[in-house]
Amino acid sequence: MAEWVRSSTVGYPLMITLHAIGMGTMVGLALILDARLLGRFTDIQYSALHRFLGVAWIGFGINFLSGSCLFTTGSATKYLWNAEKGDWNWIFMTKMVLVVLGAISAAILQNIVGRESAGWGPGAAPAKVQYIAILSIIFWTMAIVTGRLTAYI
Amino acid sequence: MWSMYNAVQDWMETTWVHHVVLDYAWSWPTLETLHFVGLSGLIGALIVMDLRLIGFQNVIPLRAVHALMPVAIVSFAINLITGLGFVIAVPRMYTNNWSFWAKMICVALAGVNFLIYYLSVEPRLMRASPSAPTPLSAKAIGVSSLVLWFSVLSFGRLLPYLGVGGG
Repeated sequence: MAEWVRSSTVGYPLMITLHAIGMGTMVGLALILDARLLGRFTDIQYSALHRFLGVAWIGFGINFLSGSCLFTTGSATKYLWNAEKGDWNWIFMTKMVLVVLGAISAAILQNIVGRESAGWGPGAAPAKVQYIAILSIIFWTMAIVTGRLTAYI
Repeated sequence: MWSMYNAVQDWMETTWVHHVVLDYAWSWPTLETLHFVGLSGLIGALIVMDLRLIGFQNVIPLRAVHALMPVAIVSFAINLITGLGFVIAVPRMYTNNWSFWAKMICVALAGVNFLIYYLSVEPRLMRASPSAPTPLSAKAIGVSSLVLWFSVLSFGRLLPYLGVGGG
């Protein structure tokens, strides 16, 4: 699989395109959920937004699979230990940590919204939940930043 | 026409944008990062709005998802500005690439799709009862919007691979 993705004219572009689609889906929906929790778009009920999170996880799944394929094309040579540079690939590893943190915060928020949002009233979520939403915004935005920088550093 | 086409691109290469983007190593990654964050905001807002138009999650009042329109518009604006940064910096890298033109055509069609929605479909939807099933025109616009914008994303991502000698 790694060979096909790495060497075929279709494999690599296909994987990075899927990766962009998954990214837009997961991060886009996560950011909207975070904005809702912070008190924006209050006409959208939490219960309804909750159902869109399933779409977000599909995006995450697409990125998990495409990301795994992409990782195999360079796992030996650049994504962990960069042979050419003689150093660990800190940017990529930071990105992976941020993605994991983003996914964990999304799962936590999904859980909290599912169980407790009915009792919140129409506005922003309780303060503790808002902190998680802010962290989520930071995690996902920085995941995109470090993801892009992986190509440059 | 051809000489104007070339003259505009030649001019672009004399502008401050061209020099700032190419002379500073951080310009390009910054523009790209903003472009990606913008596209995430746009796609996220569109997924909620377009799926709602198609009829998913009918319980959400249409007015509510409409509140996401500014997110989509601001995100598009971010991408338009950063996109101009790319094109003005290295115009021929884009104009020689058919994937770029395909992407722009899809953006234009998405704009037309939006205008049709805004001018003709949305007024009717706002007058209809919130729980009424969405009409076919709304579903068509929702589907077209998703197809077009995901095509924009794809043609954009494939820019280095299609077009001039790529792939």
